[in-house]
Order: sequence, then structure tokens, then C-alpha cells
Amino acid sequence: MKLNRAAWLIVIAGAHLGVPMLQAQDTSTAEIIKQLQKRIEELEQKVQVLESSKGNAQLQTNNPQSSQRIEELDQKVKVLERKRELDKEAATENAKSLPTVSLGLNGLIIRSADTNFLMNLHGYAQVDGRFYLNEHNPANDTFLLRRVRPIIEGTVFDRFDYRLMADFGSGNVNNSSAGNNALLDDAYVNARLWPEVQAQVGKFKSPVGLERLQSTAELLFIETGFATQLTPNYDLGVEIHNQLFNSPISYAIGVFNGAIDSGSSDADTTDEGKDVAGRLFFQPFLRTDYDALNKLGFGIGGSVGHHEGPLPSYKTPGQQAFFSYASSVSAAGEQYRIDPQFFYYWGPFGVLGEYIISSQKVKSSSANGTARFDDSAWQLEATYFLTGDDNSFRSTSRNAFRPAHPFTFGEGGWGAFELVARVGQLSLDRTAFPTYVTSGSAKEAASWGVGLNWYLNSNIRFYLDFESTHFDGGSKKTTALTARDEQALLGRVQFSF
Amino acid sequence: MKHRLILLGIIGLAMLPASPAHAQKKVTFLNVSYDPTRELYQEFNGSFSKYWLAKAGASLTIQQSHGGSGKQARSVIDGLPADVVTLALAYDIDAIAQKGRLLPLDWQKRLPNNSSPYTSTIVFLVRKGNPKAIKDWDDLVKPGISVITPNPKTSGGARWNYLAAWGYALNKFGNDENKARDFAGRLFKNVPVLDTGARGATTTFVQRGIGDVLIAWESEALLSLKESGQGEVEIIIPSLSILAEPPVTWVDRVVNKRGTLEIAKAYLEYLYSPEGQEIAAKHYYRPRLESIAQKYSATFPKMNLFTIDQVFGGWQKAQKTHFNDGGTFDQIQQGLR
Repeated sequence: MKLNRAAWLIVIAGAHLGVPMLQAQDTSTAEIIKQLQKRIEELEQKVQVLESSKGNAQLQTNNPQSSQRIEELDQKVKVLERKRELDKEAATENAKSLPTVSLGLNGLIIRSADTNFLMNLHGYAQVDGRFYLNEHNPANDTFLLRRVRPIIEGTVFDRFDYRLMADFGSGNVNNSSAGNNALLDDAYVNARLWPEVQAQVGKFKSPVGLERLQSTAELLFIETGFATQLTPNYDLGVEIHNQLFNSPISYAIGVFNGAIDSGSSDADTTDEGKDVAGRLFFQPFLRTDYDALNKLGFGIGGSVGHHEGPLPSYKTPGQQAFFSYASSVSAAGEQYRIDPQFFYYWGPFGVLGEYIISSQKVKSSSANGTARFDDSAWQLEATYFLTGDDNSFRSTSRNAFRPAHPFTFGEGGWGAFELVARVGQLSLDRTAFPTYVTSGSAKEAASWGVGLNWYLNSNIRFYLDFESTHFDGGSKKTTALTARDEQALLGRVQFSF
Repeated sequence: MKHRLILLGIIGLAMLPASPAHAQKKVTFLNVSYDPTRELYQEFNGSFSKYWLAKAGASLTIQQSHGGSGKQARSVIDGLPADVVTLALAYDIDAIAQKGRLLPLDWQKRLPNNSSPYTSTIVFLVRKGNPKAIKDWDDLVKPGISVITPNPKTSGGARWNYLAAWGYALNKFGNDENKARDFAGRLFKNVPVLDTGARGATTTFVQRGIGDVLIAWESEALLSLKESGQGEVEIIIPSLSILAEPPVTWVDRVVNKRGTLEIAKAYLEYLYSPEGQEIAAKHYYRPRLESIAQKYSATFPKMNLFTIDQVFGGWQKAQKTHFNDGGTFDQIQQGLR
């Protein structure tokens, strides 16, 4: 071994010695010798290291016990590594079967690993202020919780959607007192059998009115217009429909208990008659390249049925009743409604209008007679986003409006500002007067209103409306609502979560 | 009255679009199988697609899903929409029938040979040169021998392995169940890691270099031999092993819902055809068809095999005794802790 090492050194030294001889004229001999000595020392060290490691290897392989021990340790390390690998695989596999939970603009969403099951917990609250500018207005200025609605909705087994929406607000039921009247508005299951045919069962919005179909969290004005007052609200029944407003032709047809105008139904306690209600709606340019016409929609809704029992009152935009039937008068037979309707949206601009006839047979126990009254109403409302945001019909909370530039402190975002204007009129059948109505009831109410909506972001909104309503007929007593125009300033803070 | 007529007209019109449009869809088809059949069904699916295109004029997209047989059965019960299942053992399909109610209980009578178009058996794979001199099951229970086999709780192949060892012990000890249990206990004492499926166990042995012997499907062992170029591992044929009969069937609830019953039946029947049998043999599954079996006789040596019915009284009984919670496998595992 030492001989080999010495031979190596001689060979290397010899090889390097030859170089400086060729360059003798440029470099001094002493310097060359110094460099070579240094180089030899370095190589000597390297050889020692190599010899040392070679010796160790020989020692190990020559010792069977060490060799076996190394093999055992090697196996143990490999087993541990493989177990770790399998644990990771198992963890990854387990993670795939765990549901995902997310919290965002649409509330709390829990989705099963296979995405067949989904639950969305969200809701909204509306805090309103109503201020009447006339000194003698019979209603008091007030703050109220207009709607407080927790919502649970989701999907089971991929094709079955459900929605539960309770309302703990102060008054969304016709003729309700100002007190809390918690109720269940939506409670239904919708089976998406095919895109063209879906079946919905339970309590949900009747398909007659167009403004009625907008989520109450997405209304342009704080209160709905006159035409909407003649449409049923939440009704209980079964409906066949397709994807609403998502195809050039939308349809809905169903059988319901039959709610009175603006009313909601939980059970048919007054009669056995049922309402057939439906809508046919066209959006001929929905999927075309005509941008300006994409969001043009028109159609007709309607219902026909048999009603007995209480009749509705009708209210001003300030939510004061200006018309009521006499207490001796009740529904006594067929009611039908016809509601032609349209909307049009282009860029920040939008307009929605509908006209409705609501015809109802009634009877009067005091007059000992029956009659049919045709009431009618219309409304036309326009909207314009000052901030240039894109406008559209907002049918559900899932396609709620979202400002392009949400409000942010000190960073230039101001949310969205929307100007709204509305005119409308509700005319009662003149033949009902005076026998079938209360003494103070007006024959007609016509209103105009303007408002400004500020959408800070998707979750927080402010509304401010001014509504002026003129009455034809009704009491002219100083303290009567109908004695002069109602001028109401309505405000709302809406918080969605 | 005029208004009413208009209204009824609207409602009538609204009903018109109510009939669904049954647009023709591209047919996709899912075969849920067990761990080591990936390569077999890759080739088989290609062959069947061509056959079906020629026969029915329809193009198919056949998807495969592989994993431990028991785990796969659980996935189907939980909703994985398998048109057909081609699993490692009948018990797993029984579970789909009983717990999932996705097919009739007598599913095994619907196709020839108890719905088992090919067979296999259990052999050993050892390191090249067989450094631990492993020749039979007895060598696997010796101290210091590291044995690789997957977990019988999740793998159909592992259950075959377990029963093969148990059957050997019963044969050796004159049907003494206690001695067979002791034998199986000593064997599992030598198992350092339990994979969830047969393919995972092969990876552990061949690629990760763990263990002295892999108890494996014959098909898996032959495939490993082929892929390692006969340079790393070699096969040992034990003196006694079990005849494994992997079954196949269509899943009635799924094919009826998806309208794929005809394709599913044709797909499984094609496994019994000469073409299907040839593909199975090429991938080291023992063919049922005699002519193909003759052709591949060099690949599949004659072995001394017992069936599950002969020794264990069928899968239901074997499962209950050995693999259900509290069964012999759990008892053995408990003893090892």
C-alpha cells in the first residue's frame, strides 16, 4: 500500500515538474518549487482520505455481523419511510372524504367531499325608518325591523335543492300588527329532474308577479309597488317550472292553496278551492350577440281559483291602509288575476313594469248580496347606477347585486350608487263603493317616488326613498289618511350575512 | 269570462315546454376494479371499445377505478356510479348487493363460472437468488423473515393470501384450527407494514426494497418479474395454495338509471370471449377457456390448489370467521400489539 502511495506521489510530482521547465524563462525556480510542494501536500492529504475510507469499507464488509446490522437498520429505515408514505396516502384519502367549509360573501357554505351535498347558511336583516311629512298623518313615525330572515338552503343528492327562510321581522304579512310575527316564508324542496322540468313542493313565492319574484333583499324601493299588492306572496303548493330567467322561454305552472292579494298562505282553512297560478316569460335575445337587447324580457303571469273568507286591504308606499272592505264583506267565489309584465336592462340602466287585474267575487252579509269586483294596478320603475355598475333583474339572493368597486376606507372604493324612480296607481272597482267598503276607503291611489341606494359592498346597503301618494275618494276628515297626499320619507339599513 | 279564457290559454301554453328533451349523450362507462387489474383493463377496454364500435356503432369512453377490493366495494355502496364491478372476491360484490341494494343477491348466477371469467392464485415473490431460501409457507413464519402482504381489512388480495396460508396450516396440522391460528399469528408477526392494496404491497417489496418475501397474486408476481427483467426478483411456487376466482358483474341500479345495461352485459361477456380470455392470459390471469389455457400453459404451471368452498365453506363464512370485526385476523392483530 505504501509503495503504491509513493509511486503515485512520484508520478504526480514528475508530471508537474515538467511544466515549470517549459516556462523557466518567465517564472523563478524557487517559486515553482514552492507551488509544487504545496500541490504535493494537498494531493497527499487526498490520498490519505481515500485510503482511510477504503479501509473502513473493507473493515465493514469483512465483518458479517456489522453487515447484517447495517442491513437490518436499512430495512427499519425503509419500513419507517414506507409507513410514513402510507400514512400520508391515508391522510390524503381521508381529506378527500372530509367536507369543505367556507365563509364568504354568501355566508357559511358546507360542501360534502363528493359535492352532492351542500348547505348554505346566510340571511339578512332590514332596519327601516318611516317618517311622514304631513302633520296630521294618522301613522306615527317609527323605526322597525322590517325583515329579519335567517336562511338555510342547499342541495342533497346533487339534484334536490331545499330552502328554509324564517322571518322574525315586524310586519310582512298583510294586516299584521306592528308586533313581531315570526313566520316561515320559504320552506320547499326543488327537484331538478331535467333543466327543462323541475318540480318544487312546499311554501314559496307564487309565480304571478314580476317584482314579487325579486328577492326582498334586492328590491329597488324599500316597499313594493301597487301592482305587486294585487299579487299573492308566499303560497303553499306544487309547481313545475324550468330554470327561471335563465332560458329564452321560462315557464312556471302550479297548484296552490291560494293566497289573497299580498298575502301568504300556510293552510287552506276557509275553502276547498285551489289556485292554478303560472307565468310564461320570454327573453328572446338572452343568448344572442345583441348586447343592448340581452336583458329584455316580457311575459304574462296569472292565477285562477276559488276563494272564501277574508279579503285584503291595500296600502300606500308608506304602508298605511287606504282601502279596506267592510267587515261584513268576504270573498265568495272565483278569483283570477292577469299580470302582463316586462323588464329591460342595459348597462347601468334598467326598467321594470307590470299591470295587473285582480277580479274577485265577494258577498256581503249586511247587504245580503254578491258581486264581482275588478281591481287593477300598474307600476313602472326605473333604475340607474351612477357608478356605472351593470344592472340586471335580481331574482334570488344567489344573483344578488355586487358593487364593482366595494367601499374601502382610504383606498378609493365607494361601492355603488343607484338612482331609482317609480310611478304607480291602484284603482278599486267603483261599483264596490260605498256598500262593500269601509267608509274611509279611497277609490284610487296614485304615487310617485324617487330614491337613492348606496351599496357599500355585497353585504351592507343603505336606502333612502321619498314617496308621494295622491288619493281619489276616501275620507276628507283632517285626521284621515286620504284627506291629503301622503308624503313619506323611508330609510333602510340592510345587512346581509 | 274573457279574462278567464285568456288565462287558461296562458296556462295551457305554459305546459307545452314541459316535455323533456332527451338529447343523445356521449356514453361514458365506469369499471370499478381492484388493485392489480390496471394493465389488464387498459388493454381490455381498448379492445372492447373497438368491438362495440363495430357491433353497435357507438363510441365508448370507458373509465377505470382501482384500489383495494373492499375499499372499492365501499365506494360503490357510498355512491360511486360503477356500471360494472370487477373485484377481487365475491364477498365484496355480495356487500354491494346486501348493503347497497344495488344488484340482486343472486348476481353470481348471471354469468358463467360463478361470474368469474378468469382465475388466479397466490404465490411468493422473493429477491433474486432467494437469499433467505424460502420454499414454502413454513419458511414465512420463521423468525427474522420479513413478509410483505397487504391488509385483509381493505384488500381482497390480502384476504386470499391469508386464507391460502390458513388453508396450508389446516392441511399441515390435520385441520387443527388453533394451530392454524398460531401459524397465521407467527406469519403476521413477520409483516412489518400493511399496505391497503395488493399493488401497494408490490410497490413496498419491489420498489421500496422492503421485506424478504411478498405474498402476491400470481398475476402481480409475473408482472413484477416481467417489469424487473428477471433481474431483481423470482417467483416461488408454494406446495399448496388457493384458487382465487375474481368475480365480475354489472350494477343494476346504475346501469338501469344510466341506460347502460346492454353495454355492461356485452362488456362482461366479452371477458369470456377468446379475445377477452387472450387479454386476460397476456396479463397473467389464468383463462377459463381451454384453448387459451393450453396456449399459455408455459406461463401458468400446474399447482396444487384448494377452493374457498372446500376449506372455508364459501366467502360468507370465511369473511365472518376471519375478517369481520372481532374475527381471527383482528384477534391476531390484537395479540401482536
